[in-house]
Amino acid sequence: MSLDQKNAEAATLGRLNAQLDQSLGSFLATIRRERGITRMLVLLLLSFGLFALLKPAVFLNPLNLENIAIASPEIGILAVAMMLAMVTGGIDLSIVAIANFAAVTITTVYSGIAAQDPGQAAALMPLIVLLGLVTAAVAGLFNGFLIGVVGITPILATLGTMQILNGIAVVWTNGQTLYGAPEALTAFAKTTVVGIPALFLFFLLIAVAIAILMNRTSLGLKLQLQGANALAAKYSGISSRRVLMSTYLVSGLLGGLAGVVFIARNPTASADYGSSYVLLVIVIAVLGGTNPSGGFATVAGVVMATLTLQIVSSGFNALRLSPYEYSIAQGVILIAVMVFDQLRFRRSKPPKSRADTAPVTP
Amino acid sequence: MSDLLAPIRDIRLSTLRGANNEGVLALVLLVLIIAMALISPSFFTVGTLFSILRGAIVPTVFALGVLIVIISGGIDVSFAAIAIFAGYSTVRLAEAGGFDPGLIGIFVIACGMGALLGLVNGAVIARFRLSTLIVTLGTQGIFRGILVAYIGSRYIADLPASMSAASTANIISIRTENTDAFLHVLVVPVVALCVLVAWLLRGTIFGRGIYAVGGDAEAARRAGFAVTRIQITLYVLAGVLAAFAGVLHVILGRNANPQALVGTELDIIAAVVLGGASIFGGRGSVLGTVLGVLLVQLINNSLILVGVPTAWQRTAVGVLLIVGVGIQALSAKRQSKRVFVNEEAGA
Repeated sequence: MSLDQKNAEAATLGRLNAQLDQSLGSFLATIRRERGITRMLVLLLLSFGLFALLKPAVFLNPLNLENIAIASPEIGILAVAMMLAMVTGGIDLSIVAIANFAAVTITTVYSGIAAQDPGQAAALMPLIVLLGLVTAAVAGLFNGFLIGVVGITPILATLGTMQILNGIAVVWTNGQTLYGAPEALTAFAKTTVVGIPALFLFFLLIAVAIAILMNRTSLGLKLQLQGANALAAKYSGISSRRVLMSTYLVSGLLGGLAGVVFIARNPTASADYGSSYVLLVIVIAVLGGTNPSGGFATVAGVVMATLTLQIVSSGFNALRLSPYEYSIAQGVILIAVMVFDQLRFRRSKPPKSRADTAPVTP
Repeated sequence: MSDLLAPIRDIRLSTLRGANNEGVLALVLLVLIIAMALISPSFFTVGTLFSILRGAIVPTVFALGVLIVIISGGIDVSFAAIAIFAGYSTVRLAEAGGFDPGLIGIFVIACGMGALLGLVNGAVIARFRLSTLIVTLGTQGIFRGILVAYIGSRYIADLPASMSAASTANIISIRTENTDAFLHVLVVPVVALCVLVAWLLRGTIFGRGIYAVGGDAEAARRAGFAVTRIQITLYVLAGVLAAFAGVLHVILGRNANPQALVGTELDIIAAVVLGGASIFGGRGSVLGTVLGVLLVQLINNSLILVGVPTAWQRTAVGVLLIVGVGIQALSAKRQSKRVFVNEEAGA
């Protein structure tokens, strides 16, 4: 009798314990997320306020604000793709090369058909864009294969695919800029819905879709767990192979969408477009609260980080500072945010041993 | 019977292969050279050899710096920015001051700057234990930005006299009836640096410390290594090597251009990783690195000779990297499986 009682007690205690663990875990996760979001919101408002105060005439001009909204999507979509790779504890250096590859594919095929029959090219436009997206998805899948199946470190695998895709695109275009993007895309980039550029709405739509993928689907949960603790993920029966393949497939697809935005906004394609974006995109992902060693990220944080950096860039422009000074600012912001995070993280934890080592992840 | 022979065979094979697959790499190089010689007879000349060696001067010094960082478990993408920062600023300084510090003076000034910039990397990385890739990505932007925004954005063609004199100095010049072959004098300090770094890594406590930190930082700390100090020192050293390579680049190119060397980082990292250094740290050798650099140089050189457009070079290096690293990854997988099976059998 008393034994049963004890057992029951232990069971309840165990259940309570598990419940407590779980709620504590989700609470911690929320704090982590909220911290990223609040910090980003403060930074966003601060940078906006700063430049609005310093150069109100130039900065608050509706044209300037519209420019910010039109320039954000291409970087933002790439940053979301980078975030996905980072959540699994990886990185995707090939993302800009994938975007350019898709853009070059679309432009070449479209102008090839348009040279013979413009009407047909316009009619086939959706199919051609789809072809570009499929190429990007295949490139992403190849990354996933190298990382998930062969077992190459993400940084090296995507470094290799970056070189390969970039090289093929250079050969294909003879290193020149291609003209002749589909007119329908260019027209789409010029439309506005109640004053908001359609491209920006497109970006928000993608962000929402990825947010749903991350937070409401089992794949999202799996990829977060994969990044938080690969070993635990493995023992809970998650196939890291499949998770990594799907993650890089999605990030490749996002790269393709960014490529579509490239040519919509600026109807040219080249192998070297946006080569400085790789750094920028990593900065945005980390700034948006993505943990570079995996496990934590929020799409909202990344979207706000995109806007913040776009505002800083546009503000630097308004203040007539050079792009090189903007590149200094990027580096300083990146390191400052990481140092700040590290200090806060340390302070919030009692120093168990001075010798705690963060893995020096490449 | 075959079981009795197995250990002997294994020993032989593994000694030939080298600790980091250097033997395999040397074999690939050899096969490539023979194939090239068969395809294009003009390849197999002293002139080609000297031009490949000349082309390898700057990448080799870069690779030595990258090697040290990779052995310690990090990754550095700021070295090209440090190199051109140091190389260009030194020339700019000599120009502004209207003096020629002499070749040694130039190297001393540039390496001093490199040490300082490396110290920034090392201090941030070691003090706050941040991801090395992201820190060096950040500092790369900062260094390059400061250089172009505040130090100079002009292309300088008039180098100090000592530098332009060095740019045309050869130690060996062979004249045949139709071609002249020159071996540049700067090969000498590069060879010396390779020997020095190899000794540093294998023969000093500091070098062992770098391997230890790369293998497992916590274990290294418990074994009594001053991890923070080792990390800072090695990034300073990597900065000095990068600056040295920057000066070599300026001398060989006979001009100082602040926009130069952009985008060469990944080729170097690819060469070092091909040379058997593990991206997770703890493994790598100077010999392998030199072979890796030579392999990439040879491929770039031979593609042109066979008539493949230079544009394919990037793709070729990418494929090479993926194949090389892929083989490593697969064999590591097989090995870990084998260990697992052995443990099972033992239990």
